[in-house]
Amino acid sequence: MLVITRKQEQSIIIGGEVEVIVLGISREGVRLGIKAPRSVQVHRREVFEAIAAENRAAAEARVPVQNAAALLRAAQARKPESR
Amino acid sequence: MTLSPELPVDDGILLSFPKGLVGFPQLTNFRLFEPLDGYPLKFLQAVTAPEISFTCIDPVAVKSDYEVPLGEEEAEALALESPQEALVLTLVVIPEDPRGMTTNLAGPLVINVRTLTGFQIVLNSDKFPLRYPILAQD
Repeated sequence: MLVITRKQEQSIIIGGEVEVIVLGISREGVRLGIKAPRSVQVHRREVFEAIAAENRAAAEARVPVQNAAALLRAAQARKPESR
Repeated sequence: MTLSPELPVDDGILLSFPKGLVGFPQLTNFRLFEPLDGYPLKFLQAVTAPEISFTCIDPVAVKSDYEVPLGEEEAEALALESPQEALVLTLVVIPEDPRGMTTNLAGPLVINVRTLTGFQIVLNSDKFPLRYPILAQD
């Protein structure tokens, strides 16, 4: 891993088109600004990982999908009265 | 967008996700189909790894006011010419007790039905829970 020391207002450029700027440093954390082309998605790591974990879980049904589907159809049939 | 254009998914349609799904960048080609007796659930099956199928659903069937706030850049990446071209699906997690099944409203799949190309959008807001219960808890 490349480790670089930057001060406030300084930045690094990645791949010639992504710029990460140190906007502020405080006790609470470091504020970063990111300039990237629209095609580059930028996410907080924990958000990215939470979605990835849900994706993995969605590919691992523990019961036959038909059981779940039957529950959903039964709930849909009940809906008009109960709501 | 609260849209669910008609798609003939019975036999399956082939979709391209150029960036894959989050955590699965290598899976870019999928077949979307409805498994036998699976309505209203659908499977998004990886073409190159058929053992991997993501269970998904039309989120409007779960939460009627669900809308994906698409940024300009996302609409552009999807080459959406009109909102009617967008099909939105959300992934479904079915636990051992299927009554606890949830859908991920924070990571919807948005598919252009004209180009058959899709992206998974990451929504970063408390309004879009990762685990939204599908069945009302009685």
